[in-house]
Formats: sequence, structure tokens, C-alpha cells
Amino acid sequence: MTDTRLMHTVGVRALEWLWAHRDGFRLEPDVDPEVGFLERFKPVGELALICRVLFREGVAGSRQAELARKLLDHTWRHTLDGGRMLARGQCIEPLSPIPFEVYLPYKELGYSEPEVERATVLYHRLDSWAALELDPTRRLGLSAFQRRFGFTPRTPETDIVGSTWLARTPEPWTVSGHIAYDVTHTVFHLTDWGEHPDALPPDIADYLAMWLPVWIDDWLDLERWDLLGELLVVDACLPRPTLDERAWEGFAAAQQPDGAMPAVRTLPEGEPDEVFDVVYHPTLVAAFASVLATSRALTELTHVTS
Amino acid sequence: MEQSGTSALLQGAVQDIASDVVSALRGGDHVRMSGTGAMDDVEGSLTLAAVRVLGADLLLPHVLFPTPPAPEALAVFRRTVEAFPPRPDAAPTVKWSHWAMSRTLRRLDTSLAGTPAGDQPPEQDAGWLDEATWQVLTHQLAVLAPLAVPGADCAVARAAQRRPVDVARGFVRAVRRRDWQQAAGAGRWLTLIDGVPETLGLETGLDFVELMGGNDPRVALQVQAARVVRAAGALV
Repeated sequence: MTDTRLMHTVGVRALEWLWAHRDGFRLEPDVDPEVGFLERFKPVGELALICRVLFREGVAGSRQAELARKLLDHTWRHTLDGGRMLARGQCIEPLSPIPFEVYLPYKELGYSEPEVERATVLYHRLDSWAALELDPTRRLGLSAFQRRFGFTPRTPETDIVGSTWLARTPEPWTVSGHIAYDVTHTVFHLTDWGEHPDALPPDIADYLAMWLPVWIDDWLDLERWDLLGELLVVDACLPRPTLDERAWEGFAAAQQPDGAMPAVRTLPEGEPDEVFDVVYHPTLVAAFASVLATSRALTELTHVTS
Repeated sequence: MEQSGTSALLQGAVQDIASDVVSALRGGDHVRMSGTGAMDDVEGSLTLAAVRVLGADLLLPHVLFPTPPAPEALAVFRRTVEAFPPRPDAAPTVKWSHWAMSRTLRRLDTSLAGTPAGDQPPEQDAGWLDEATWQVLTHQLAVLAPLAVPGADCAVARAAQRRPVDVARGFVRAVRRRDWQQAAGAGRWLTLIDGVPETLGLETGLDFVELMGGNDPRVALQVQAARVVRAAGALV
């Protein structure tokens, strides 16, 4: 099993980079509404989700927890203008689930914007919202978020799981990058982002225990760090994580001294905002994988000693 | 990367002979050794080298089906076994490959009965496979695919039998990397051993390997061998 300190350090350094580059979390308020004001919400929502995991797992050091809290405050107050940008997003595109998906982790962390909630409650009553043509993994995630918000999802999660690629446990040698991302997100949604490893149906857990090591081996050798990071999260979501040493050592070695994690092979060069848009996601994923893997490693230690 | 002239010639000879073996496996016929009619010194040594590369699989159709090999094919095979004895410090795969050829020769060459060459060659050690990672295990087994023959026990086959999940993982890895020859060799072993995970999808997997890599006769040979092995297994 991998040295816990190595896994932990990846997350500490990732948070340092995210904090140093917090201005990269930016909206484009002046963009033509037809072009897509909501496009730039995704990084903010992902940051909040992962900071929530960090607080939930309780394995972050004081510096890491402080940076996570400051990042949440910064993005809520500045990027989202205290939530008003989410309400504006809902005005521009009422049926888009994105503002709600970004809002939920902030709400769970104690932030609130009543206008967003009022709109969300109304949209939840619309047949149109329930009828949106989303792919199964995205629909699964939306239903999970609705449950966490306090709604009864119009399409229960148990009705959606069977339509995902993963639930059909297909030929593992057909997995491509796109399929692999679907797999990782199905696992994130089924386990509430690693909170409930036991919520994975046993046949899916067995399937992943069997084939995940091959995929990790492959994308490690391909130096696709963003996807490898997500696969390492999936490993940490399994009932019996492997915390694979070779993969973690390769992942840690790919991280730059300032904490940035390249998406593929090495860091790109370019304008700061362009580099941020390529690097923020793998770096967030690195923080996510680090906190979950560290937590699982410490849990195993506790079980061994108790 | 540019191949040297000799290497390209050898590759071509291996491909030609592999094609003959594939035809024989498909038709239940003799291995014709079509390209080896004239055995002068240069072509003769090239043929021997090519047979050494292909190994025991040259006579696979005659191991799997009850047809005796053509005398000329058997003669080339015997000369190859004699011409390339493994050095004491050779890699385990080289020793085992030669062992597989010796075993096949003993099985098919009735003239050897009662002579020292007709004795079962001593088995090599296969402990290195037990120590290998699943990636290395699969690579080594694919190199030793000629040993994957129904009803032919040996230490390598027992090592494969002990690790079905690891070989299955290696098959997935090889397909993902488009290493069709390794995938086909691993697939052939998987048709022979028990405990292969259902979710692997081995049968369609082998068809996929053939679809993607079957233009290479060495890939086609392994896939066809796997089909015959599977059919033989179904009869047991």
C-alpha cells in the first residue's frame, strides 16, 4: 500500500495551487447570453464539491482546511457574487440544471441564496425539468443532487442505474477515455462522492475490483493524469481500495512543484487563464483523490490497530 | 524504425509459415511449408530460424487433429530443434520454447521411439512466473502460447492455471494497447484455463482481436488455435 504521506501531500500542494490561482475561477458576465453564460460555472461547482468532501472526511491539515474555506468564501462572494450569479444563470436559462448543481454543495456548506432555492423548487415541479434528455450518468447525478437538496427525485436513482454503461458490466477491453469518465462519475454519484462506498451495488463493486487495476495501469502509462486521478478516486470509493503504489507514485511525480497537476503528460504553456482552464480540473481531481485515499488509508490503519 | 534486411526477411518467412499453419488449422490439413521447397544453405537456414521463431506451433494442427505431419515439415522441425539448443544462461522463455518443440517432436516423430531423443525432456522451472506481475506474466505466457495445448500439462500451464484473473487482466491490457499478438496469445491461454471472469467477454474479445489484428498471420494463428482449443474443451 502507498505511503499515506505521499497521497496526503498531493492534496496539500493541489490546494496551494488552487488558492494561488483563485482568480481563474471567473465567470464571463458580459458574454452574449446566447453563447452560454453557464459554461464557466462548472469549475466553481467542482471546487465546492471537492471542498465539501475535504471537510467531510476530516483528514485535511489545518492549512489545507483553511485554504479550502478561503477558496469557498472567495468563489461564493466574488465569483458568484454571494449567489446572485446563480440566480442570474437561472433567469437566463431556467431549465438548465447547472446553477442548481453548483448551488447544492455551497448550500450543504452553509451558504444560501433564497432566490436560487425558490426557482429550484418551482423547476422541480415542472414536467419539463424531469423530461430533460440527459445521458444516464448525468441524470443519475441530478437525481442524487435532488435527493440531497431534500426533494424526492422525479426519476428515482435506482431506476437510472441500470441504464449506465457501468451497471451493465460490459467487456472491460472496450473502455475508452470517454467511457472511463462515465464510469468514474457513475461511481461518484452512487457513493455520494465517496461518502458511502457500501452503496455501490455488489456486482459493480466486484466488476471494478476486477478491472480497475488494468485501467489504472493503462492510463498511468499513457500519462493521462486527469483521468488517472479520477480512477484513483474510484479506487478509494471501493469497499476494498488498493491505493496502488505504482500509480500513486507516478501521479505524485507528475505534479509540479507549485502543486499544478497536468491534464496529459506535461503542463501546457500559454496565457494564465488558458493554462488555468486546462489545469484546474486535474488539480482539483488530485485534491479529491488525495483526501479520499488518505481517509481510506487512515481508516484501514484504525481497523488494523483496533 | 527501419528493419535490417535480414530481420525483414526473417519476419517475412515467419509470416509465410504462420499462414500455412493457419490454413491447416482452418482446413484440418497438413502444414504445407509452401515457401520452403528449395532448402539450399541460405534459404534453409532462414527457414530454420523462422521455424525457431514460430516454435512448436509449426506442427500444432497435427497435435490438435489426428493427422500425421508431412515428412518434410517434420524434418525441418527436427532439424530446428537440433540446430538451436538453448544455452544454459538463456532466458526462461527460450528454454521453455525449446522444451515445447522437443515435446511436440517426441509426440509426432514415431522414428524417435526408443531412442534417447524420444525421452520426455526434463521440465524447466517455472517459478519466475509465480513471482511476475500480471503484466509480465501475460507477456511471458503470450510468448509461450505454443504451450497452451489441451491435455498437455507442464509447469507453465500450471502457473497460468493458478492466475486466471491476472491473465484476463493482461488480455485487457494487451487489447487496450493494440498489441494484438500478445492479446491473441493470452486469449489462447484463457480458453484453456478455468476461473476466467465472466465479464471479460473472451469469445467476442478473440473475435475483436482477429478483426483488428488478424491480417498478421501470427495473430490469426493464435486466434484460430484458441478456437480449436475451445472446441476441444467443449468436447471434454
